[in-house]
Amino acid sequence: MVGIGDAVETAARPSGWRRLRRGLAACPPLVSACALWLAVAVGVALVTELISPYHYAQIDLRARLQPPVLLGGEWRHALGTDELGRDVMSRLFYSIRMSLLVALLGTAIGAVLGTMLGFLAAHFRGWIDDLIMVLVDFQASMPFIIIALSVLAFFGSSLTLFIALMGLFGWERYARLVRGMTLSAKEHGYAVAIRQLGASPWRVYSRHILPNIASALIVNVTLNFPEHIILETGLSFLGLGVQPPLTSLGNMVGYGREYLQSAWWIAVFPGIAIVLTTLSMSIVGDWIRDRLDPTLR
Amino acid sequence: MLRFLATKLLRALATVVLVVTFAFVVLRVSGDPAMLIMGAEAPPDAVAAFRTAWGLDEPLWRQYIDYFAAIAEGNLGQSMRDRRPALQIVLDRLPDTLWLMVPALLVKLLIGIPAGIYAALHRDTWVDRATMAFSVAGYSVPNFVLGLLLILLFAVNLRWLPSSGSETGWHAVLPVIVLGTAGAGILARFTRSTMLEVLGQPYVRTAVAKGVAWHRVVNWHALPNAAIPTVTVIGFMIGSLIAGAVVTESVFAWPGVGRQLVIAVSQRDLAVVQVILLLVAASMTVSNLTVDLLYGWLDPRVRTVAPKEG
Repeated sequence: MVGIGDAVETAARPSGWRRLRRGLAACPPLVSACALWLAVAVGVALVTELISPYHYAQIDLRARLQPPVLLGGEWRHALGTDELGRDVMSRLFYSIRMSLLVALLGTAIGAVLGTMLGFLAAHFRGWIDDLIMVLVDFQASMPFIIIALSVLAFFGSSLTLFIALMGLFGWERYARLVRGMTLSAKEHGYAVAIRQLGASPWRVYSRHILPNIASALIVNVTLNFPEHIILETGLSFLGLGVQPPLTSLGNMVGYGREYLQSAWWIAVFPGIAIVLTTLSMSIVGDWIRDRLDPTLR
Repeated sequence: MLRFLATKLLRALATVVLVVTFAFVVLRVSGDPAMLIMGAEAPPDAVAAFRTAWGLDEPLWRQYIDYFAAIAEGNLGQSMRDRRPALQIVLDRLPDTLWLMVPALLVKLLIGIPAGIYAALHRDTWVDRATMAFSVAGYSVPNFVLGLLLILLFAVNLRWLPSSGSETGWHAVLPVIVLGTAGAGILARFTRSTMLEVLGQPYVRTAVAKGVAWHRVVNWHALPNAAIPTVTVIGFMIGSLIAGAVVTESVFAWPGVGRQLVIAVSQRDLAVVQVILLLVAASMTVSNLTVDLLYGWLDPRVRTVAPKEG
């Protein structure tokens, strides 16, 4: 039974993964550079404690506002210090970890939630479908930053709530996508065949339909992730996201702004890290999209 | 056509009801506004008086109905901080926001659309690549980072332009550049891909094959069809003007609605946040509705075929 299903599936599935693997060999230098930065950022996030010279909250009032090393600073604080004498490089590493973590969790929650709701809508149709689509329409028609600000204002800002909120950002695109593609996939020969062979709906969706729409979902993830970074850093910049003493990239830019005249390095280094990350992810994402689905171009 | 109109209106109404419900749920159920405003050590009878004055001791369904009634009457409550009507506070700030957003919108349209069309017509030339690079940057560089870099360059180092405030027209230059360039990049990319799609359609091939001059093919066959989806993006941009202003206004200390929202959120000023939320919802709904109606007018297929997918 499974054999037949798999055979049909292999025939129906586009050879996206093989194309991706072949493409990796002929990857343009810009894309490689971007992938390299993302790898470095993830590496920094994984071993933050080991490579940070100081703890991110360690204060040294005798070494306040010291410039980076090439501008008259010392190697002790290679990227300078802030107004409390905290080491900018250490804070940058911890901030990269926090921003990546929040954005990754947010993207993952949004993707899973949206995909599940999309399947539910396509499976049950009727009022469940209508309800989910009304919610999708609502979220698509409101700028998310306004929703986020209202929620944060009145629930106060805790890290858990903040991550949950980030998870709500973007789910509607997955839901819409998955619903549409599932509805058309259900009519395909392979899905009809598997259902008639007696597979449970869960099996049909997770083993057969999901792999077939996976490339579109992956493309959506790569588009969504930079937007999560921008939302997280933006809200933290406004002082409404990650709260001190915790630190995130947006948070650093936010208070570094006060010292733009005297100590630009506090805001500029995290700012560059944000831009490099979102830019790299967008470029790598565009490239993956062109590989996986040339028709979306 | 009437049916088309009715569905669209009903949808718009449903969105408004949902937003009002959302506002109610978030603003009233999340915490105890009386405690938030008065503080934990306030005398109990003062808190009780506050609750009665704001209707907080009624059952929830009652508050919900009252809430709709109050909004329908245009009574949106007072700022809990300085007792002025919340609507007034927000409307006072609106002209400042429009002073930024209308020029920024013009920049987006005047750069984004021509650049997108040009890039599509000259695919794979350096202009096309430059436009695409610009638009990727427009997507990826957050407004506040671009804003700070511009401040660092033009205000701190070169001292050509002021870094914050809104006293003169010069103060608007940097925020308009920040808002305009990011949006122009997004619009250029969208226009380009729509245009490429239209240029690949059979009717364009037919027109070329029967010997229609190329500029006529572009102006008469391709552009009107490419305009249809582009209208959606422009509509979304107009509807989200206020939301787009939140971060940029804060960067440049521009006293508009967006900055007011950030201030109200950090002060937990319920009434002001709620007015801005409703204002954004109203502007989104109106612009979505306008786009839908424009669609029906531009594209006869939309009104004749029942819009039911699946």
